[in-house]
Amino acid sequence: MNTKAFIAWVVKITFWVLIAAFFWWTISNNLFSQLLENPDQFLGLLGRHLQIVLISSSMALATAIPAGILLTRPKFRKYEWIVVNTANLGQTIPSLAILALAMGFFGIGIQAAIFALYVYSLLPILQNTIAGLKSVDPAAKDAATGMGMTPAQILFKIELPMAASSMIAGIRTAIVLNIGTTALAYLIGGGGLGVWIFTGIQLFDNTYLISGAVPVTLLAITADQFFRFLQLFLVPKGIRKAQKAAAAAA
Amino acid sequence: MIEFTNVSKTYPGGVKAIDDVSLTIEHGEFVVLLGPSGCGKTTLLRMVNQLEDITEGSIAVEGKNIHDLNKIDMRREIGYVIQSNGLFPNMTIEENVMVVPNLLGWSKEKRAERFDYLMDLIGMPPENYRGSFPHELSGGQQQRIGVARALAADPPVMLMDEPFGALDPIIRSRIQEEFMDIQKKLKKTILFVSHDIDEAIKLADKIVLLKDGEIQQFDRPAELLNRPVNDFVSEFVGEDSVLKSLNLYQVKDLQATLDLPAVEGSPDGKVFHPHDSLRHVLAHLLHPSRQYVYVEGEDGTTNGPVSVEHIEAFVREITA
Repeated sequence: MNTKAFIAWVVKITFWVLIAAFFWWTISNNLFSQLLENPDQFLGLLGRHLQIVLISSSMALATAIPAGILLTRPKFRKYEWIVVNTANLGQTIPSLAILALAMGFFGIGIQAAIFALYVYSLLPILQNTIAGLKSVDPAAKDAATGMGMTPAQILFKIELPMAASSMIAGIRTAIVLNIGTTALAYLIGGGGLGVWIFTGIQLFDNTYLISGAVPVTLLAITADQFFRFLQLFLVPKGIRKAQKAAAAAA
Repeated sequence: MIEFTNVSKTYPGGVKAIDDVSLTIEHGEFVVLLGPSGCGKTTLLRMVNQLEDITEGSIAVEGKNIHDLNKIDMRREIGYVIQSNGLFPNMTIEENVMVVPNLLGWSKEKRAERFDYLMDLIGMPPENYRGSFPHELSGGQQQRIGVARALAADPPVMLMDEPFGALDPIIRSRIQEEFMDIQKKLKKTILFVSHDIDEAIKLADKIVLLKDGEIQQFDRPAELLNRPVNDFVSEFVGEDSVLKSLNLYQVKDLQATLDLPAVEGSPDGKVFHPHDSLRHVLAHLLHPSRQYVYVEGEDGTTNGPVSVEHIEAFVREITA
């Protein structure tokens, strides 16, 4: 075993030990009592949380992926810097500030939260879509054109499969961030699991805190793992094998 | 057949990339576009499958003006090979080779049969490579696959843009020979870009030497070497042009100009085969210990002797 692998192994073990210790502490102090005693309320908050995440990130996917594809076409390439810089701005403004601004516009409630999280999720998806499409070997595209593939065939059979890895990584980052940031939706009346987290902070009550924060964390981890798993299906085998071979050679 | 008629290309700003090129490549002919970088050879090649626009003039492929054809359809009927192979890393070797047949909607059986045939042609066992991916192959193998992919739908015309340029010299020369064998069997009309005169001499039926978008000379390799039409051509072919051209002549060509007597008994020098190159014979004769060699006649007799003077006389004739 080389040093790198050994360190990775130590980190992993430490991580799981800490997790186990944490759950032992929460369970022995009955910190999940809120969740266990009010399952209906919990499911309501979780449902709202998921609703905000799903709507805002679906909107972000539906905007950022087509935009990324469009901005890598020869006709629109010159607009790339404007759009990416604008999206960058959305990411630079602190998440709390976006929520506040959205509230000023949409008033209190779920719409403001959804809009703010939508803006917040755009950049990682857009950036990785553009990076992935740009990384496609120009020789492959030239060969494809010269052999008589239509632009649509080149996009779907060559470019998107080759960019899939980078694109899914961007989507994963955006959604994991989105799940965490949705906890702030409570502040502008958006609901979600943030309700318990902030109640816990205000009342200094660990049972609220843990019953809200742990499910959010688990949700983020689950989403992260789900997209890693999805990568196995959506990234073509040849690309995965080539990446592995390149990593082994490095 | 490919016909260029008064073809010009001017870039916005007035730079002329191609200047009034007229050229006919006959059916089954192997023509190499040769020239220094920036001479327009790749542009000229890419005009044929409409990857580059034509400013003036016209190009006809197999008798049809390309301007009147659907870009997508006409490209599927022309084989295209590029230097950096352009294989698709997300597809298996079989999928890569079968891209055009797939676009043309061939049945699965027909595709599998064609794949086996092509892989045998390029000397790679189909069953070993069917499911492999491009990155698992060596550079030379990838380029062979690039050639097989261009041949997949059996196009009459092939465009090849420095296909062997990125390979190391030993592999390159081996693939050149393999490709010549393939061409002997298939007799495609080939337009091939190269910046390497030795490659051009080795492969071409005819060479187009270009400079600044203009044709300097369009001729058989031996003519280009021995009878350059201007200073640029003679400089480009180099000072060793005569020596290079001797590669292109065989012992039987020398024999045709001489009336050599048959030798009685055993000859006192090496006997060359009619298909050996004259460069080989000259190299052998240059050694001070050898004065004569002999050549094998058509009817199996040994004729001679041949000396350096005979080759000198032959060279005087071909360069006259």
